[in-house]
Order: sequence, then C-alpha cells, then structure tokens
Amino acid sequence: MFDWYDYRSMSKYKGPNMMAVFPAMDSLLLGIDELKKAGHENFLVYAPVPHHDIEQSLHRPKSPVRVFTLVGALTGFCTGWALTIGSAMHYPLIVGGKPIISIPPFGVLAYILTILFGALATMIGFLINARLPQLRLAAVYDERLSSDHYGIQVFCDEGKMKEFEKLLKGCGAREFRRAEH
Amino acid sequence: MTNYKLSYSQTDLDLTQTLNKPKRWYYVAVTLLGLGVAWGAGSWLYQILTGIGVSGKNNPVGWYLYITTFVFWVGIAHSGTLISAILFLFRVKWRSSVYRSAEAVTVFGLATAGLFPLLHMGRVWVFYWTLPYPQMGGLFPNFRSPLVWDVFAITTYLTVSSIFFLTGMVPDVAIIRDKAKGWRKKLYGFLAQGWQGTDNQWRHYTAAYVFLAALATPLVISVHSIVSWDFAMSIVPGWHSTIFAPYFVAGAIHSGLAMVILILIPMRNAFNLHPYITDHHLESLAKFLLFTATVVGFAYLIELFIAWYSHNQWEQAIFLYRAFGDYWFAFWALFVCNLLVPQLFWIKRFRRSIPFLVFVSVAVTIGMWFERFTIIVTSLAHEYIPFAWGLPTLTWSEMGIVVGSFCWFFFLFLLFAKTLPVVSMWEVKEQLDPPMAGKK
Repeated sequence: MFDWYDYRSMSKYKGPNMMAVFPAMDSLLLGIDELKKAGHENFLVYAPVPHHDIEQSLHRPKSPVRVFTLVGALTGFCTGWALTIGSAMHYPLIVGGKPIISIPPFGVLAYILTILFGALATMIGFLINARLPQLRLAAVYDERLSSDHYGIQVFCDEGKMKEFEKLLKGCGAREFRRAEH
Repeated sequence: MTNYKLSYSQTDLDLTQTLNKPKRWYYVAVTLLGLGVAWGAGSWLYQILTGIGVSGKNNPVGWYLYITTFVFWVGIAHSGTLISAILFLFRVKWRSSVYRSAEAVTVFGLATAGLFPLLHMGRVWVFYWTLPYPQMGGLFPNFRSPLVWDVFAITTYLTVSSIFFLTGMVPDVAIIRDKAKGWRKKLYGFLAQGWQGTDNQWRHYTAAYVFLAALATPLVISVHSIVSWDFAMSIVPGWHSTIFAPYFVAGAIHSGLAMVILILIPMRNAFNLHPYITDHHLESLAKFLLFTATVVGFAYLIELFIAWYSHNQWEQAIFLYRAFGDYWFAFWALFVCNLLVPQLFWIKRFRRSIPFLVFVSVAVTIGMWFERFTIIVTSLAHEYIPFAWGLPTLTWSEMGIVVGSFCWFFFLFLLFAKTLPVVSMWEVKEQLDPPMAGKK
C-alpha cells in the first residue's frame, strides 16, 4: 500500500543536471517519451498546471500523502475519545443527570478532532513529500515555468548531456540550462 | 470567458494586475473601514474598562447582539467551503474563478465570528478557561456541553479553512514571485516556500488538495449544526427543535452565497475581471441562492406548522410573540428578505441583472441577520414564566462593535485583494487548452 518510492528516489535528483525548456505541452510529452525510450528515467518535469497527460506519461506511483491523512485522522479520532473520556473520569462531576461517560456528546468531539488532525497531517504530509519549504530554487529553474512553459530537468553525467540535449531539441525544446554540482 | 481569447500567459497578466498600485478609491475605502474598525475596537475597550454592563444584554436576554452576530458571521463563512471544497469534489467547472474569494469570505468570516464569544465573555483576559488544560482550580471544560463542542468546531473550521485557503494559493504565489522584482520577489518567494511546479510537487499537491477538500466538506454540514445545538440542546421554547441543524446549515449557506455575490460584483468591476467572473458565474450563484431560499423558507413554514400542530402552548406562544410581539418587524423582515425577495431569481432577467443581484444579496444579508436575532432574542425575552419576561437595551457600544465587525470583515478582504490573487490562476489555466506545437 505505502510506497517508499519518494524517500528512495530523492537521492536520484542530485548531481550534474540540465533543464530543457519547452514552449508547448505536446513537445514536452514527446521529450518524456524519448527520454524513456533512451532508457533514462532520472528526470523531473516542470509544469505550470497539473495535467493528466503528463501524469500518464510519467507513471509515477500514487502520492503517500493519503497515508498521512489516514494516520492523522485516526490519531484525531482516538485523541477525541481519550480527551473526553479521560477528562470525564478525572473530573467525575454529574451535570444535568447525564452519565459521566456520555457517548453521543463525546462522539462529536471525536469527529471534530478526526477532521482537525487529518487536515494537519495532510498538510504535513504534503510538505514532507513535496520537499517544502525549500530555501533555494533549482539553479536551472526558469521563471517562465510557472507561467506558460514546461521543463525537463535531466540528471546525468556530463558525457551524456550532449546526447540528451540533441534528443530533446529534436522534440521541441527551445533552450537549455546547465548546472554543475 | 467566451469572447475573450484566454491563454496561460494572458491569464497571468490579467490576474496579477490586481496587485498593481492601488487607486484612490482603494485608499478611501480602506480608511473608512479602518475608522469603522477603530470605532468597534474603541467600543470594546470601553466595555473592558467599564464592564460588560455597557452592552445591552441583561437578564433574561443574556444572548443578544454579540451571539446574534456571531451566528451570522459563522453562517457567512459557510458558502466559501461549499464553493471551494464541495464543488471541487463534484468537479464543477465554474467554481475555479470564484472559489478563492469565497474561501477568503470563509476565513475572514470566521476570523470575525471568533471575536464575538470573546466579546460576549466580558472578562476576555480569562478566555483560556474555555480550553482543556489541567489547572489548580479544578476547572475543566464540560464536554457534554454544546458550547464546548462549538469552541472545538469553530477552531477546527478556522484551522482547516486556513490550511485549504493557503495551500490552494501556493502555486499562484510562485507565479507572482517569478514575475516580481525587488522586495516583492523576496516576500512572495518566502510565501511560495520554494514551490517550483515539479511533477513530484504537483503529485503530492493534488493528492493533498483532494483530501483537504474531503475533510473540509463535512465541516460545511457539521459546524453550523453544532452552532444550532447551542440552542436546540436547551429546553427554551422556539429553540428545542430537531430541525435546527439542517435549518441552520441551509441558512448559513444562504447568507454566505449572498455575501459572496456582494463581494464578487464590486471586485469584478474594480479589477476588470469580466472575462473570468462572467454573468454565467453570477447566475449560477443566483440559482444556488434561489435553492437555499426555498430550503430556508420550507424550514420557516415547518417551524410554524409544528408549533400549531404540536398543541404545545409554550411553542405556540413564542411563535405568536415572534410574529406580533416586540420584535415583529424582525420576524416579518426575515420572511420577506430570505424567502420572498429571492423568488425574483426564478426569472432569468433578474438573475443576470447586476442591480437585482446586489438588491437580493443585500436583502438576504439583512434578512439572515434578522433571522438569527429573532431566534435568539425573542425566545429568551419571552420564555416560560411571564414574571421573568424582559427586553434587552440597544447600546451605543454594542452597536459600535457590531458595525465594527462588518468593517473588520471588509477591511481584511480589501487587504487580501491587494496582496494575494483574488482568482486562482492555476485553476483557471487548468480549464484552458495548454500551449501546443502540434507535435503529438
């Protein structure tokens, strides 16, 4: 169920790399296919908006954020019952003739804390998995990538860069930026 | 968005111009609202220094304008989550242009509502007594009380809405960062937290967004249900009713939709956002408002019917008092404003007319405040024993705080409108065709 892909794979995205900037999405999809055909999977794709076609061509595993949500929600659910039952037992004061441990009202608190903890865990899961916050942007990051351009950041040895540059140029990449690490 | 050729770059250009240097009207509006906020803050300070007696509440009407306005603002908050979360889960396309402002209405509505329990407390410096923490005095919240559920519900709603609001904004803030220069680049760079739009980031982002929407959705139903239980769990005539939860939720969405329309129309004109917030968007909201008006109207009529049908003399007495007693005007105003006036939206011409949209939305906003007032004040003023009947007094300081809360809400919205994108750029772009070169 839970794939540790993300934790293993982040070490892949290090070392010498280059960014190929594409002005169009179909060129980007072609670039992804060609890189995969060339047997190279060590790259990141940059896009201004998420798109199903990009997701399908990348075949990345499902996000593990869902596990954070589930664990957070279950923790909240248990905390809700523990807080209400625990405090009622520590302060056993009968109010309005109701039992000390009143299931329906305590269920309301358990429900609220399920949602609260679930949402907080979802945010934490997103930040951890998306590697945010990041103090610096990638050295090869192009400011047009958040607007209307796409990019492929290829991680490879210096020797292979020329080969991939030629390959991606043929797919429609307009500009290339290189970063040394 | 039909007659205007939109593209990714054009969308960025149009929607970031809202952050340009403000015009004179903006400064005038901010100053006037700031004065209103100062009046409210001054009134609160006067109340703190003099005592809670300066507010008009008394015995038997211990819940007066503060609690009325608290319930009103919590209600206003509800349509934001409805539009941003529920319509997102149902993949309703017209939502993308309006949800950011609706979410802002939620967050600022709750930020305003949250002040009122503190105001109502009087001794605000001991507000932390409501929180569950071990203390020497042996004081601990009674979790069997709906008032404690309310503290948890509102705090959770504010937290989840804020997370949803801020998370949704991250890719847009990155767009602004990439276009800005100087100190603005640093500020938006900090707010974007290093977002670059990699496939990994988008994958986790979209997953988180779906789960946040799914978690926020039940809150739309539950928060105002819990607020309604503040009343319905008691045995006060006019409050002790099983229909209160759905009745309050429908009313909340009704008032929230009216406020969203009231915010969107001037914002569209001020920032020239007509290609993004079209008449179709406003008409869709108007149809929604018509739907909630009928639900709310049904609840009003059922309440009256049950009061008659129950043969319960106290229930009958309280509804007769509401209709013909001291606050008859509030009772009839809520019928006219919330039920009758929105019926204009059966006619397409009115749904597409800006003056009518504004007129109906203002009427509903006023009507919903009167609805809360009628429910809360009349039941307390005219409970079981005639000997204990009584009326509250309207005071300047309490009025100042209520007016100040409206100014505070719009003040926050104006600050937001000039610092962050009021329309979601990345979600609008998601609706457009991506740039293509004809390669595949």
